[in-house]
Amino acid sequence: MRLLHSLPTIFALTLPSLADSNASKPLSSKQILSSTFKPPQVFENVNLVRNVNLEKGYPREMINVVIKNVDSTAQSKYYLPFEADLIARVGGLEVRDKKNTGKDAFKVEVTEFDTESSTEFYLVHLPEPLAPGAELTIGITFAVTAALNPLPDTIDQMAQQTVQYITSAYSPSAYKTLKQKTKIKFGTISIPDYTVIPNKNADGSEDPTRQGSTFTYGPYDDIPAGASQPIAARYDYTKPLVHATLLERDIEVSHWGGNLAIEERYWLTNRAAKLKNHFSRVQWQMTKYANPPSTALKTLQFPLKGGSVNPYFTDDIGNVSTSRFRPGKAQALLELTPRYPIFGDWKYSFKIGWDADLKGFLRRVSKGDGYVLKVPFLEGPKLAEGIEYEKVEVRVILPEGAQNVKYTAPVPVINSEITTHRTFMDTVGRPTLQLSAINVVDEWRDEDLIITYDYPWTASYRKPLTIAAAVGSLFVAIWVIGNIDTRIGGRK
Amino acid sequence: MSDLQQVWDAAKASPFSPTFSKDSQFLVGAVLLTIAFVLSGVFALNRSLATLPVLAIPASLAFGFGAVYMICAVGVNV
Repeated sequence: MRLLHSLPTIFALTLPSLADSNASKPLSSKQILSSTFKPPQVFENVNLVRNVNLEKGYPREMINVVIKNVDSTAQSKYYLPFEADLIARVGGLEVRDKKNTGKDAFKVEVTEFDTESSTEFYLVHLPEPLAPGAELTIGITFAVTAALNPLPDTIDQMAQQTVQYITSAYSPSAYKTLKQKTKIKFGTISIPDYTVIPNKNADGSEDPTRQGSTFTYGPYDDIPAGASQPIAARYDYTKPLVHATLLERDIEVSHWGGNLAIEERYWLTNRAAKLKNHFSRVQWQMTKYANPPSTALKTLQFPLKGGSVNPYFTDDIGNVSTSRFRPGKAQALLELTPRYPIFGDWKYSFKIGWDADLKGFLRRVSKGDGYVLKVPFLEGPKLAEGIEYEKVEVRVILPEGAQNVKYTAPVPVINSEITTHRTFMDTVGRPTLQLSAINVVDEWRDEDLIITYDYPWTASYRKPLTIAAAVGSLFVAIWVIGNIDTRIGGRK
Repeated sequence: MSDLQQVWDAAKASPFSPTFSKDSQFLVGAVLLTIAFVLSGVFALNRSLATLPVLAIPASLAFGFGAVYMICAVGVNV
């Protein structure tokens, strides 16, 4: 059990590289705090239940906590601590009022000490200050990328894989917690190793208690702020750990063509166990039809919106012919088979794209020249084992001459800027909204990005009129040159 | 619910529809380019100050719009 204020020094001495790993990854709106900062002890966690779901290739955590203001004044700043190496991998952190789930999520920002410190905080702004003695139930959800590691880290081609997950039995908290428990849901009942805590829990029973594929650590009473009880579990997971280091997604709006063109470029890797020996094509081919569980990524299925057409799938070599497209009005399905099965630590980068009718994505605002565009922020493959994205860059290329661009993104965006993209038939270039997000998981697929922009009719005629002016000046030039008298003798 | 979601919902009645649908872009582009070609040919045969506005300007406008539609029809959505 370690107290929160001692953590920075211990970790700064032992794990300087972890702090560095975060420094290279920009997180949204950082607030730099002094290294002596300790969250004011104005809250108390009355009851906390933490659920960790390990069914997919990334843990998804949901912490439901009843917080109580123990200060004498109303408070609205609730701190949520994470270790520096962990906070750089936390994605999609959302905090909501559990009793009023229809409301917008609370405003959340990342704070940090200095780069040397090991503990960083998410600062949650409660929408209304909590009165002294009052309680509020909040739900905190987030996913952690690159959190499961294969153990052993090299296996035979068709061997079963086990992965290790390390966490703390005590939920990370900057405040004293009166009562808490951690439930871990595995996707399997085959869990060869897990930490058994020698002391009994607050109910006097074994810790953890096991019920099928769910383990419960706790309940624990009166855990001080910053306390941690490391636990680990190793369980069967013979599936790929699909990890995209980068996804670039371009969404191009064409008013003239009535078209929405989408292109996605993936840099995929598989975090599963590496192959102990060389890849055996013979063994692979022999087991192909039996289809046993494997750590290799064989196919990717992209459910696309209905009405999607003209798909393509290319990589560095060129067109990849092992793809199938099933168009449909309600939903289209793009099934891709990469050139080779992607085993642990192997990489594959490729590009896919398709077109859609703009009608379903763009509406005209009743007054003025405004338009509103609603497109999925992320589409990507739908895999049972899930997929995590280290970095997602979405570019929305608007028509040339669009102005006054506003957006709402469904995921926390770390950077947004409007740049100019120049392509065919452009004169001044197209305004492009560029959004970057980190640590995104596939649960966010189909969440919509909404963009409004003004597109005056004068701007829309820029392209044909530019071409017309060019051709027109050619005609004038022909007429002028044709009228030049080049005869040697005088005009008769 | 965000403000922009409300803007989206309010605009439900007016989905975007292009002047010519995707299916007719090739036809429109081809017709306009043919007009441009014919008018340019006639202009090339009688070049004068009078035929400039009558033939050359309509030809260049037809070429401008026709080119945009033809480029869209062949898959480069400008």
